[in-house]
Amino acid sequence: MANQAEDLFGPGPGADPLAYYQAGEPGGDAYLAAQPQVADAWRSFVAGLVAQGNGDLARVRGFLDRHVDELGLAYRLTGDEQERAWPLSPIPILIGAAEWSGIEAGLVQRAELLEAVLRDIYGDQHLFADGHLPPAMASGSPHFARRMIGVKPPGGHYLRQYAVDLARGPDGSWRVLADRTRLSIGVGYALENRLALSRSTGSLLGSIGARRQSDFFDALREGIAADCVRSDPRIALFTPGRFNQSYPEQALLARHLGFSLVEGRDLMVRNSRLFVRTIAGVKRIDALWRWINTRDIDPLHFDSRSRIGVPDLLQVCVSGQMLLCNWPGAGAVESRAMSAFMPRLCDRLLGEPLLLPNAATWWCGGQDERNYVAANLDRLIISSAFRQPNALMPDGSSRAGAELSAAERAVLLQELDRRPMDFAAQEVVRLSTTPCLDDGGIAPRGFTIRAFLTRGADGQWVVLPGGFGRMSSDGDLRTSLIGEGDISCDVCVLDSPGSEQAMLAPVLVPPQVRRAQGVLPSQAADNLFWLGRYVERSHQVARVVRTMLDAGDALQTETGMGSAASRLARLLERWGAVPRAASAWRPADIAGAALGSADQPGSVITQDRRIRGLARLLRDRLSRDSWRALNRPLPRYVQGDSDSITAAADQQLEQSAAFVRLTADTMSRSAAWRFFDLGMCIERASLMTQACATIVPGQASAVDLAALLDLADAQAVYRARYLTMPFIAPVLDMVLLDPQQPRSLVFQLGGIRDHLETLPSLREDGLADLPLRLARQLYVRAESLDAETLTPRTLDDLLQALSDLSNAISKRFFLEEAATPERDGAQLLS
Amino acid sequence: MIYHVNHRSVLSYAAPVFDARINLRLKPVAWPGQSMRDYRLEIDPMPASMRDEVGPYVVNTLALNLAEALSALTVVSSFTMQVDAPVVPQHTPSITDLRQQALAVQRIDALAPAPYLYASRLAAFEPDIAHWAATSLTSDQQVLDGALDLARRIYREFAYVPGATSSSTSPADAFRAREGVCQDFAQVMIVALRSFGIPAAYVSGYLRTIPPPGRERLVGADAMHAWVAVWCGDAAGWVGIDPTNDCLTGESHITVAMGRDYADVAPVDGVFVGQSVQRMKVQVDVAPLD
Repeated sequence: MANQAEDLFGPGPGADPLAYYQAGEPGGDAYLAAQPQVADAWRSFVAGLVAQGNGDLARVRGFLDRHVDELGLAYRLTGDEQERAWPLSPIPILIGAAEWSGIEAGLVQRAELLEAVLRDIYGDQHLFADGHLPPAMASGSPHFARRMIGVKPPGGHYLRQYAVDLARGPDGSWRVLADRTRLSIGVGYALENRLALSRSTGSLLGSIGARRQSDFFDALREGIAADCVRSDPRIALFTPGRFNQSYPEQALLARHLGFSLVEGRDLMVRNSRLFVRTIAGVKRIDALWRWINTRDIDPLHFDSRSRIGVPDLLQVCVSGQMLLCNWPGAGAVESRAMSAFMPRLCDRLLGEPLLLPNAATWWCGGQDERNYVAANLDRLIISSAFRQPNALMPDGSSRAGAELSAAERAVLLQELDRRPMDFAAQEVVRLSTTPCLDDGGIAPRGFTIRAFLTRGADGQWVVLPGGFGRMSSDGDLRTSLIGEGDISCDVCVLDSPGSEQAMLAPVLVPPQVRRAQGVLPSQAADNLFWLGRYVERSHQVARVVRTMLDAGDALQTETGMGSAASRLARLLERWGAVPRAASAWRPADIAGAALGSADQPGSVITQDRRIRGLARLLRDRLSRDSWRALNRPLPRYVQGDSDSITAAADQQLEQSAAFVRLTADTMSRSAAWRFFDLGMCIERASLMTQACATIVPGQASAVDLAALLDLADAQAVYRARYLTMPFIAPVLDMVLLDPQQPRSLVFQLGGIRDHLETLPSLREDGLADLPLRLARQLYVRAESLDAETLTPRTLDDLLQALSDLSNAISKRFFLEEAATPERDGAQLLS
Repeated sequence: MIYHVNHRSVLSYAAPVFDARINLRLKPVAWPGQSMRDYRLEIDPMPASMRDEVGPYVVNTLALNLAEALSALTVVSSFTMQVDAPVVPQHTPSITDLRQQALAVQRIDALAPAPYLYASRLAAFEPDIAHWAATSLTSDQQVLDGALDLARRIYREFAYVPGATSSSTSPADAFRAREGVCQDFAQVMIVALRSFGIPAAYVSGYLRTIPPPGRERLVGADAMHAWVAVWCGDAAGWVGIDPTNDCLTGESHITVAMGRDYADVAPVDGVFVGQSVQRMKVQVDVAPLD
């Protein structure tokens, strides 16, 4: 087929899929108005996509979705229980180097301006005294921290991370829509979008000259390190925890940057220093990149109700011993109303005009401004000045004045009389469009870009080339990072071939060789340990279900279940996988409950929920493959149908085995892996001992014993070794005492002892920590048992010792009981 | 009037707690018309460290750190205070003018109006309270008259019921129940005033209690008290109004601290490690020295 342009089946590979692209106003579309070189790059990129999909763009979308999935890219909207897959369009927004350098200069100027404003309002406060900024502009912000007045940050920088929402107008000019000085939400998603796009499109991004992002992330890391007191600093990302909307983003950033991901309860303050609790005792932290609002960082100095903060954290900041970025209170300048003052402040503080204008803004705290807004409602977007809820904007967001009903208008005017300072208004900014691939093909969509800045090692601002693109389904992009129906896309800055930027060989400084990723925080050790326990428990329940159904089929008589099946059912009861007295049910019903009854603490579905919860916390430590294995849905089955339940149990066993194998194969043999394996060993030891105690209560038939061998995966070994039917003592020896059997009790105890011998000791006298002493005792005791004389009492004693050992491990390595902020301690009222 | 004030608090824990870090906000701030002498603070057991902090509102904080296991903590704050009755302004600006004056003040210190203009953690806006307050706070009304009218309505319409609310009850809930104690009344009034753009602050302190006729004053039967400070313009400044007793604050009110709401001036708060419940017993004695 020689003709590549078009044939009977539509555009062939290599044709220009953008040839028929149209937008309302050509000047208002980023592609149609692009410089010829940039437009060429756009066309060749899209043509490349089409070629990859063999002419089918939907297939490209499919590739991309798979990469998004593999990266674990997900998000939650407020109110979501489950994470959603990230919507990403494969067509990036392209910006030429010349245009970008203008934007870049404007962004850096704005960052410096906001820094100067913060320095003033937390310092000498000339802006208030001289009438350039009303004090109510500061005190109105929920992120203004009075406490920080007069406290200087190390290195003198209030801002280190800064994000800006930008819009391109129909005339091609760029405007600032909003400032983000509190949290740079989206920077991790920008990184992920780039990773997903470059993985799914091969060399396409490189071929069009897209500037790389890695310099920005290097600068971010080095900028923080440069202002730390110690030369080889320990830097952590301070997260509110996994229930936070942007937790997946935080976990990704921590992993990408090599920061530890810590929660408030991992941290403690001693002598004006910050420490993280680790399995090797407490370790000092030099810098925190916080993803927590100022008011929540320290219950003693800010909101006493905060349960995610660290008591006395502020003390550490004040002492100059730790870098906290952004500095507490930096969010005070991100309110919508602040934009109204930016042109004047820029003139005043920097002595120059704003390079990048913001959308014209009026703060209604001024009488003239209030009157103007009241008279021009139809032409303005009305906002809550400080993003606080009010009668018309219960979510603290914005409304188009023209869309207000008569009743709402009356309420607004009344509010503007009573509390004018709560409102701000902005001109309506019209958004340019960009080509977006959605279900119907390539169509124009309105877009905004969130750009990101950080300070490098020399303290100078570095701008992420490109950023996070958002394309809206309904044209309203003023709200949160991403909303229902929005699509995100990568934003690329293009260097023309032969330009200085493109010629510049990447300056790569090899890092110092290291083999460990810092000391394991206690919290992470705790999570890994329980991840191991739950994975093993889920695996064993599925195994019992399968064995029970097999035994039931083999031996079920007309009067009821066979003895083996009913003993296995009692074991499921003991593990809490099925309700008490469930052993009287039909085997298929018991099995179904053990797999899928969500209100049973020991069922597979309950373990699975716990496993996923813990895995989310460990996201920065799990490989992509383990993550994917973990996120496979639980197998389905038909209620009451033995065959389908057996199949489901089989599949579940394979899935959990795959997860364990992938995790064990990819985790470095560090303390993290040891805790995961320690959890599995303890659980396996305990479950196997319980299985023996339940299935062999003094006497057992050959079928009972066969079932027990099956649980230990030792049927074949037994038959090969003994060449006869199962007898009690040889079976118990094989599943409990044989140190060569990978599922036996003694084998687990040996593993536990080995792990504990390798983990750090807190004692300085050279003696072993309590968990190791207990593990050694237990091993020696179990090893010396004789299968011929094992009694139920011995088994009970072993179980008790295992439980003591598990408690000793928790006490030694994991966190103390959580600090309880006392909020209602003072009943001093008359 | 001259008073001797003795304020004893005992915190106790069913099981010992560890690493307790406690903020005490008991030492009175410097306040117009008040002069204090002989301030004493006794703490048992002795904390491992103590740190004095001033602010960020009009409040003295002493931050304690108790490293050892703790099952009970006794704090006794005592001082002698001379209180002169404040001068009551004869004329205050209209509410419309005051709103503009408040926004025009070019300061943000702890006595400036700006910090007390907006909703705060424990004093969140509530449309029902604003609606209820509207008849007292009409635009051309003098601000002090309007505020006194609000205090009178709270005094008449709300039931004083100790124990009906806790220190974390929201003004909205107290308003709906139309009952509470001084903290609730003060916070309802603050929300009402701020809803109309009037700067209003929460004041903690002590009140001299007059025993029933023919009875002896009961030592230690008093408690801490709370009222409202209303910003009445550049000239008049902050004026104290006590909605619990429907009066302007006078010789009987001893100011300890001022903040946006209870949380800024809570006499005791803090954190500790442990699962134990904290109990607190308080005895306050405000004795006139005549």
